Amino acid sequence: MAAVSQGFKTDLLGAIPSLRAFAVSLTQNADKADDLVQETLVKAWDKHESFQPGTNLKAWLFTILRNEFYSQMRKRGREVQDSDGIMTARLAVHPAQHGQLDLKDFRGALEQLPEDQREAIILIGASGFSYEEAAEICGCAVGTIKSRVSRARTRLQEILKISGEDEYGPDAISTQVTGSPAS
Amino acid sequence: MKDMTKDILAGAESRRRNGSGDALGPNSEIGRKLKQYYDELVSDDVPDRFSQLLSQLEQAEPAQKKD
Repeated sequence: MAAVSQGFKTDLLGAIPSLRAFAVSLTQNADKADDLVQETLVKAWDKHESFQPGTNLKAWLFTILRNEFYSQMRKRGREVQDSDGIMTARLAVHPAQHGQLDLKDFRGALEQLPEDQREAIILIGASGFSYEEAAEICGCAVGTIKSRVSRARTRLQEILKISGEDEYGPDAISTQVTGSPAS
Repeated sequence: MKDMTKDILAGAESRRRNGSGDALGPNSEIGRKLKQYYDELVSDDVPDRFSQLLSQLEQAEPAQKKD
Protein backbone atom coordinates (compact mmCIF):
# COMPACT_ATOMS: atom_id res chain seq x y z
CA MET A 1 0.00 0.00 0.00
CA ALA A 2 1.33 3.37 -0.97
CA ALA A 3 1.93 5.89 1.74
CA VAL A 4 -0.81 8.37 2.44
CA SER A 5 0.49 11.72 1.32
CA GLN A 6 0.75 14.66 3.64
CA GLY A 7 -1.53 16.58 1.33
CA PHE A 8 -4.21 13.95 1.62
CA LYS A 9 -4.03 14.09 5.38
CA THR A 10 -4.24 17.87 5.35
CA ASP A 11 -7.25 17.72 3.03
CA LEU A 12 -8.93 15.19 5.30
CA LEU A 13 -8.42 17.49 8.26
CA GLY A 14 -9.86 20.36 6.28
CA ALA A 15 -12.95 18.38 5.38
CA ILE A 16 -13.83 17.44 8.96
CA PRO A 17 -16.09 20.43 9.71
CA SER A 18 -18.17 19.69 6.61
CA LEU A 19 -18.24 15.98 7.36
CA ARG A 20 -19.46 16.65 10.89
CA ALA A 21 -22.17 18.99 9.65
CA PHE A 22 -23.39 16.42 7.13
CA ALA A 23 -23.19 13.66 9.75
CA VAL A 24 -25.28 15.67 12.21
CA SER A 25 -27.78 16.39 9.44
CA LEU A 26 -28.10 12.67 8.78
CA THR A 27 -28.07 11.32 12.32
CA GLN A 28 -29.62 14.25 14.16
CA ASN A 29 -27.36 13.32 17.03
CA ALA A 30 -23.99 14.86 17.85
CA ASP A 31 -22.38 11.77 19.38
CA LYS A 32 -23.48 9.44 16.61
CA ALA A 33 -22.36 12.03 14.10
CA ASP A 34 -18.83 12.13 15.47
CA ASP A 35 -18.63 8.33 15.53
CA LEU A 36 -19.74 8.37 11.93
CA VAL A 37 -17.07 10.92 11.02
CA GLN A 38 -14.46 8.80 12.77
CA GLU A 39 -15.50 5.71 10.78
CA THR A 40 -15.43 7.77 7.62
CA LEU A 41 -11.90 9.02 8.24
CA VAL A 42 -10.64 5.50 8.95
CA LYS A 43 -12.30 4.16 5.81
CA ALA A 44 -11.01 7.07 3.71
CA TRP A 45 -7.51 6.47 5.02
CA ASP A 46 -7.67 2.74 4.24
CA LYS A 47 -8.91 3.24 0.72
CA HIS A 48 -7.07 6.45 -0.08
CA GLU A 49 -5.65 4.82 -3.22
CA SER A 50 -9.11 4.67 -4.74
CA PHE A 51 -9.39 8.45 -4.54
CA GLN A 52 -8.42 10.08 -7.79
CA PRO A 53 -6.45 13.25 -7.16
CA GLY A 54 -8.02 16.22 -8.84
CA THR A 55 -11.55 14.97 -8.29
CA ASN A 56 -13.80 16.28 -5.55
CA LEU A 57 -12.46 14.95 -2.25
CA LYS A 58 -15.40 16.33 -0.30
CA ALA A 59 -17.88 14.48 -2.51
CA TRP A 60 -15.81 11.30 -2.17
CA LEU A 61 -15.78 11.62 1.62
CA PHE A 62 -19.50 12.42 1.77
CA THR A 63 -20.16 9.27 -0.24
CA ILE A 64 -18.19 7.18 2.24
CA LEU A 65 -19.92 8.81 5.18
CA ARG A 66 -23.35 8.33 3.70
CA ASN A 67 -22.71 4.66 2.87
CA GLU A 68 -21.45 4.11 6.39
CA PHE A 69 -24.55 5.79 7.83
CA TYR A 70 -26.97 3.63 5.88
CA SER A 71 -25.05 0.44 6.50
CA GLN A 72 -25.09 1.18 10.24
CA MET A 73 -28.79 1.90 10.07
CA ARG A 74 -29.42 -1.41 8.35
CA LYS A 75 -27.39 -3.22 10.98
CA ARG A 76 -29.27 -1.60 13.80
CA GLY A 77 -32.59 -2.10 12.12
CA ARG A 78 -33.49 1.54 11.88
CA GLU A 79 -33.56 2.52 15.49
CA VAL A 80 -35.69 5.46 16.43
CA GLN A 81 -34.05 8.79 15.79
CA ASP A 82 -32.71 10.82 18.63
CA SER A 83 -35.60 12.12 20.62
CA ASP A 84 -33.87 13.23 23.79
CA GLY A 85 -33.05 16.58 22.36
CA ILE A 86 -29.27 16.26 22.50
CA MET A 87 -28.82 18.43 19.47
CA THR A 88 -31.38 20.92 20.60
CA ALA A 89 -29.69 21.34 23.93
CA ARG A 90 -26.19 21.28 22.57
CA LEU A 91 -26.49 23.98 19.98
CA ALA A 92 -27.06 27.51 20.95
CA VAL A 93 -30.35 28.82 19.72
CA HIS A 94 -30.14 32.25 18.25
CA PRO A 95 -33.15 34.42 18.81
CA ALA A 96 -35.21 35.04 15.74
CA GLN A 97 -34.41 38.27 13.98
CA HIS A 98 -37.02 40.50 12.44
CA GLY A 99 -39.69 38.07 13.60
CA GLN A 100 -38.44 35.53 11.13
CA LEU A 101 -38.48 31.82 11.44
CA ASP A 102 -36.65 30.53 14.48
CA LEU A 103 -33.70 28.26 13.81
CA LYS A 104 -34.88 25.88 16.50
CA ASP A 105 -38.22 25.47 14.75
CA PHE A 106 -36.40 24.92 11.51
CA ARG A 107 -34.24 22.22 13.06
CA GLY A 108 -37.34 20.52 14.39
CA ALA A 109 -38.94 20.59 10.97
CA LEU A 110 -35.82 19.22 9.33
CA GLU A 111 -35.86 16.29 11.75
CA GLN A 112 -39.32 15.35 10.58
CA LEU A 113 -38.21 14.81 7.01
CA PRO A 114 -37.46 11.31 5.76
CA GLU A 115 -33.69 10.73 5.53
CA ASP A 116 -33.59 10.71 1.74
CA GLN A 117 -35.29 14.08 1.50
CA ARG A 118 -33.25 15.57 4.32
CA GLU A 119 -29.92 14.55 2.84
CA ALA A 120 -30.96 15.80 -0.60
CA ILE A 121 -31.95 19.25 0.60
CA ILE A 122 -28.82 19.50 2.75
CA LEU A 123 -26.49 18.49 -0.07
CA ILE A 124 -28.08 20.90 -2.53
CA GLY A 125 -29.20 23.74 -0.33
CA ALA A 126 -26.42 23.85 2.25
CA SER A 127 -23.33 21.80 1.36
CA GLY A 128 -22.99 23.47 -2.02
CA PHE A 129 -23.05 20.37 -4.22
CA SER A 130 -24.49 20.37 -7.71
CA TYR A 131 -27.38 18.05 -8.54
CA GLU A 132 -24.95 15.84 -10.43
CA GLU A 133 -22.61 15.59 -7.46
CA ALA A 134 -25.46 14.94 -5.05
CA ALA A 135 -26.79 12.21 -7.32
CA GLU A 136 -23.36 10.61 -7.35
CA ILE A 137 -23.06 10.81 -3.58
CA CYS A 138 -26.50 9.26 -3.09
CA GLY A 139 -26.09 6.73 -5.89
CA CYS A 140 -29.27 7.77 -7.67
CA ALA A 141 -30.44 9.71 -10.71
CA VAL A 142 -30.24 13.49 -10.93
CA GLY A 143 -34.01 13.60 -11.37
CA THR A 144 -34.45 11.68 -8.12
CA ILE A 145 -32.41 14.28 -6.24
CA LYS A 146 -34.44 17.06 -7.83
CA SER A 147 -37.72 15.52 -6.79
CA ARG A 148 -36.46 14.81 -3.26
CA VAL A 149 -35.30 18.41 -2.87
CA SER A 150 -38.63 19.64 -4.15
CA ARG A 151 -40.61 17.40 -1.81
CA ALA A 152 -38.38 18.33 1.12
CA ARG A 153 -38.90 22.01 0.45
CA THR A 154 -42.65 21.63 0.16
CA ARG A 155 -42.78 19.55 3.32
CA LEU A 156 -40.69 22.09 5.26
CA GLN A 157 -42.97 24.86 4.12
CA GLU A 158 -45.97 22.87 5.29
CA ILE A 159 -44.47 22.06 8.68
CA LEU A 160 -43.30 25.63 9.21
CA LYS A 161 -46.42 27.09 7.67
CA ILE A 162 -44.36 29.41 5.53
CA SER A 163 -46.51 31.39 3.23
CA GLY A 164 -45.72 33.99 0.64
CA GLU A 165 -43.01 31.94 -1.03
CA ASP A 166 -45.27 30.66 -3.75
CA GLU A 167 -44.26 33.45 -6.07
CA TYR A 168 -40.71 32.10 -5.92
CA GLY A 169 -41.89 28.53 -6.20
CA PRO A 170 -42.60 26.56 -9.36
CA ASP A 171 -41.57 29.38 -11.66
CA ALA A 172 -38.21 29.80 -9.99
CA ILE A 173 -37.70 26.05 -10.09
CA SER A 174 -38.52 25.68 -13.77
CA THR A 175 -36.35 28.69 -14.51
CA GLN A 176 -33.53 26.98 -12.66
CA VAL A 177 -34.06 23.66 -14.43
CA THR A 178 -34.39 24.99 -17.92
CA GLY A 179 -31.76 27.68 -17.59
CA SER A 180 -32.27 31.34 -16.98
CA PRO A 181 -34.14 33.22 -19.68
CA ALA A 182 -31.99 36.22 -18.77
CA SER A 183 -28.92 34.69 -20.28
CA MET B 1 -43.54 43.32 -9.38
CA LYS B 2 -40.70 44.53 -11.52
CA ASP B 3 -38.31 44.36 -8.57
CA MET B 4 -39.55 40.93 -7.69
CA THR B 5 -38.86 39.66 -11.19
CA LYS B 6 -35.42 41.18 -11.00
CA ASP B 7 -34.82 39.41 -7.69
CA ILE B 8 -35.91 36.10 -9.09
CA LEU B 9 -33.63 36.46 -12.08
CA ALA B 10 -30.75 37.54 -9.88
CA GLY B 11 -31.40 34.58 -7.63
CA ALA B 12 -31.59 32.17 -10.54
CA GLU B 13 -28.38 33.60 -11.91
CA SER B 14 -26.54 33.17 -8.62
CA ARG B 15 -27.92 29.66 -8.19
CA ARG B 16 -26.84 28.80 -11.68
CA ARG B 17 -23.37 30.07 -10.96
CA ASN B 18 -23.20 28.04 -7.78
CA GLY B 19 -24.47 25.02 -9.63
CA SER B 20 -27.00 24.29 -6.88
CA GLY B 21 -29.83 25.69 -4.92
CA ASP B 22 -33.04 24.90 -6.77
CA ALA B 23 -35.27 27.62 -5.34
CA LEU B 24 -33.21 27.45 -2.17
CA GLY B 25 -31.38 30.66 -2.87
CA PRO B 26 -31.42 33.96 -1.02
CA ASN B 27 -35.05 34.59 -1.99
CA SER B 28 -36.19 31.62 -0.03
CA GLU B 29 -36.72 31.54 3.72
CA ILE B 30 -36.10 27.81 3.64
CA GLY B 31 -32.86 28.33 1.74
CA ARG B 32 -31.65 30.91 4.21
CA LYS B 33 -32.51 28.81 7.23
CA LEU B 34 -30.93 25.76 5.68
CA LYS B 35 -27.65 27.61 5.27
CA GLN B 36 -27.87 29.10 8.75
CA TYR B 37 -28.48 25.64 10.21
CA TYR B 38 -25.62 24.12 8.28
CA ASP B 39 -23.13 26.96 8.72
CA GLU B 40 -23.62 26.76 12.46
CA LEU B 41 -22.75 23.06 12.34
CA VAL B 42 -19.73 23.66 10.12
CA SER B 43 -18.37 26.37 12.40
CA ASP B 44 -18.61 24.11 15.44
CA ASP B 45 -15.18 23.49 17.01
CA VAL B 46 -13.63 20.24 15.86
CA PRO B 47 -12.76 17.97 18.80
CA ASP B 48 -9.09 16.94 19.13
CA ARG B 49 -10.02 13.30 18.70
CA PHE B 50 -10.01 13.70 14.94
CA SER B 51 -6.53 15.12 14.50
CA GLN B 52 -5.34 12.50 17.02
CA LEU B 53 -7.02 9.82 14.96
CA LEU B 54 -5.28 10.94 11.78
CA SER B 55 -1.92 11.03 13.56
CA GLN B 56 -2.53 7.49 14.81
CA LEU B 57 -3.46 6.32 11.33
CA GLU B 58 -0.31 7.92 10.01
CA GLN B 59 1.89 6.22 12.58
CA ALA B 60 0.24 2.86 12.01
CA GLU B 61 0.76 3.02 8.28
CA PRO B 62 2.67 -0.07 7.06
CA ALA B 63 4.27 1.77 4.15
CA GLN B 64 6.04 4.11 6.51
CA LYS B 65 7.50 1.36 8.66
CA LYS B 66 11.18 0.86 8.19
CA ASP B 67 12.75 -2.48 8.97
